[in-house]
Amino acid sequence: MMAGFLDYIPGTSFLHRLNPLTKLLFSLILCVSCFVTDLHLFILGLILLNLALGFYSGIARRSLRILSALIKFSIVLFIVQVLVIHDGTALFYLTKSMPITDLGVSFSLLFVMRLIAATMPLTLMLSVTQMSDLSNVLVEKLGIPFRYTFALTTAIRFIPVFAAEMGGIVEAQTARGVAFDTKNIFKKLTLLLPLCVPLLISSVKRIESGAISAELRGFNLRKRGSGYKQYGIQGIDILALAVVVVIFVLGILF
Amino acid sequence: MITMNNFHFKYAGSDCFALQNINLTIKEGEFVGVIGNSGAGKSTLTYAINGVIPHHYHGDFYGDVSVDGMSTVEVTPEQLSACVGSVFQDIDGQMVASVVEDELLFGLENFGFVREEITQRIDDALATMGIADLRYRSICTLSGGQKQKVALAAILALKPRILVLDEPTGELDPQSSGQIFTMLRELNQTYGITVVVVEQKIMLLCEYVKRLIVMGEGSILLDGEVHEVLEHSKEMEAVGIHIPRVATLANLLIDKGLYLGRLPRNLDEAEAMVREVMA
Amino acid sequence: MIRFEHTRFAYDKTPVIDDVSFTVAKGDFAALIGANGAGKSTITKLCNGLLKPQSGRVVLNGLDTKTTKTSLLAKTTGFLFQNPDRQICKNTIAEEILFGLEFVFDDEAKRKDQCQFVLEQFKFDGKRDPFSMSRGERQRIALASLLARDPQIMILDEPTTGLDYRECTQIMEMIAERNASGVTVLMVTHDMEITQDYAKHVLVLNQGKLLGDGDVADVMTNRAVLEAASVSPAQIPALAMRFGPAFTHVSTPEQMAERIARGCRA
Repeated sequence: MMAGFLDYIPGTSFLHRLNPLTKLLFSLILCVSCFVTDLHLFILGLILLNLALGFYSGIARRSLRILSALIKFSIVLFIVQVLVIHDGTALFYLTKSMPITDLGVSFSLLFVMRLIAATMPLTLMLSVTQMSDLSNVLVEKLGIPFRYTFALTTAIRFIPVFAAEMGGIVEAQTARGVAFDTKNIFKKLTLLLPLCVPLLISSVKRIESGAISAELRGFNLRKRGSGYKQYGIQGIDILALAVVVVIFVLGILF
Repeated sequence: MITMNNFHFKYAGSDCFALQNINLTIKEGEFVGVIGNSGAGKSTLTYAINGVIPHHYHGDFYGDVSVDGMSTVEVTPEQLSACVGSVFQDIDGQMVASVVEDELLFGLENFGFVREEITQRIDDALATMGIADLRYRSICTLSGGQKQKVALAAILALKPRILVLDEPTGELDPQSSGQIFTMLRELNQTYGITVVVVEQKIMLLCEYVKRLIVMGEGSILLDGEVHEVLEHSKEMEAVGIHIPRVATLANLLIDKGLYLGRLPRNLDEAEAMVREVMA
Repeated sequence: MIRFEHTRFAYDKTPVIDDVSFTVAKGDFAALIGANGAGKSTITKLCNGLLKPQSGRVVLNGLDTKTTKTSLLAKTTGFLFQNPDRQICKNTIAEEILFGLEFVFDDEAKRKDQCQFVLEQFKFDGKRDPFSMSRGERQRIALASLLARDPQIMILDEPTTGLDYRECTQIMEMIAERNASGVTVLMVTHDMEITQDYAKHVLVLNQGKLLGDGDVADVMTNRAVLEAASVSPAQIPALAMRFGPAFTHVSTPEQMAERIARGCRA
């Protein structure tokens, strides 16, 4: 489930204590770094670094789950890529008209490794950052209007709520005999489609209730400087940023 | 504190009045329960007090509603919410944050209180509700009763003088429902907060509130002290509200000529009644 | 008939249902009571195969839920949830009821008959839009959709929560009527007055264990069991308990008034 990859895992590690803005920049630069290099080993290093950071911040299990999900997805992508790319020297032929080439393998590998190396930092960042902290710094430091960050955090907050609601709906329909225990995925999808109606109805009600509750608690009075929590830049933030910039520069050089 | 004069309201797009000819005065420090079958206009009444009507839900508005001297039509909902705090039935829907502390911060930040004031108010509100230990908890891990306490704490932090609650125990079990009402009674008695609570569970209302309003089809049918209202059990049955069984028992004893006193509102009063009859 | 045999179930490590055994016989009306988090909803989901036990067995009309497809169990078992909005997904009442029948009856004429029958019984206009109706009315639609299927077993998870007294009575009377004609009922409820009025058999659950299992009159006056499960009895039995042995097995205001009158005469 999506929710299991994005929600916050409490902790007090080095990464947890960074300024949310640092975390955002750190992960973005790490993400971009894998696109400025063509070196497989460098990207592999980045993936290992992500994993190490994950282990260090006490979210080893989550990191491995993300990695294994990405690898599964990558295998499919890799196979498709390798089959379409015909440039370069043929290593061997699957059929007469379907060569597997060195360039194809190399490029496809680079492609999926980049995908993994670019996705991991962002998911890790979300695992060690409270959404509210992230939205607070976006408002305070970058001047993004509160209503946008509020909409974003609300949307993310509602993912598990709606997932639970959908689970309840599927249960209710199974109980009346809708055969969700079918093995046929297309059949299952056509069965799921009509259930969007009850989900939509309950979502709209819930969002309306939230809007009224927010409005009555002065949502429209909010200003940029309203935030209570303060997010200072400390030594560890400078250090983290310095490290990631070095990585980025190394990426460009190689 | 709250007055409604000849108040009528019809939602935009609806054919009939949700509320009609409402005349109501609620004084500072009262603890009022509102009961009625579904469609009686209970929720609409709460919306009229906290300004959701006419500012969020539009429609035909006749008569006037004033809260703490402010006409609800003339002031903004924010101005009203400095005085009126609202708790809604949909426990998950009314939350705006994912951590308890952030839920309390939301309103305080919006109204622009200074830092020291915010710190103080959060501590006080959590302590009053007895949930200081939940401060850093993620809201989705809390039980229904705990969530409703968080919602109340978030409102209390804004120090309202009136609390309006729309079926706050609708999704709770009897134990948590009792806790919420005990809390409301304390807020009413200790802090003098005026409480207006809509509730389906007649036994809870009879046990806790002082004044009971019975609504039916958009009008106020009965309004008075709990004991007085219970006397009208026939009228209540007619709109589908069943008085507590101890009160039904009292009516039976009265019919048999065994009892002459007031109708009991809870078990303790019923016990006293039975002892009196048997003596 | 519903039978639990040493059933255990856990979502993760700690068991939610721990070695529970009971039988709800054909035509019985059992109420399952207990505080929030006692495992009541889990029991209902185990009943119709939405959850499968990790050890022990759950047997429904002779079928082991572990080896029977949930969609097959659903043909003879009706489930009513607390929230009707999770069920209703069609734009008219008639369509909603017919949709539920598709999984039970293959014959279209039979489906139309069944639908017509409950529409008349509930006095519904089949063309109305369920979403424009009140919560209580939508719960009645969900119940109508369930009854149209002629279930042999009905499992009800807090069917009256959030309804007013009148709506509550309407729902319960419909259920009682079916029960009288031999349908087995298992109902989770927090409402002790409803338990007192409608159930014949009470199961008391606390932290995944069954504390009480017996006749309403016995269980609802067993203070030790009720207290252990943090359940308070209905008002009249609670009042009667305060007056000792002369008032045992009193559950209605009429019985109580009768006993008091007798006590006065004596």
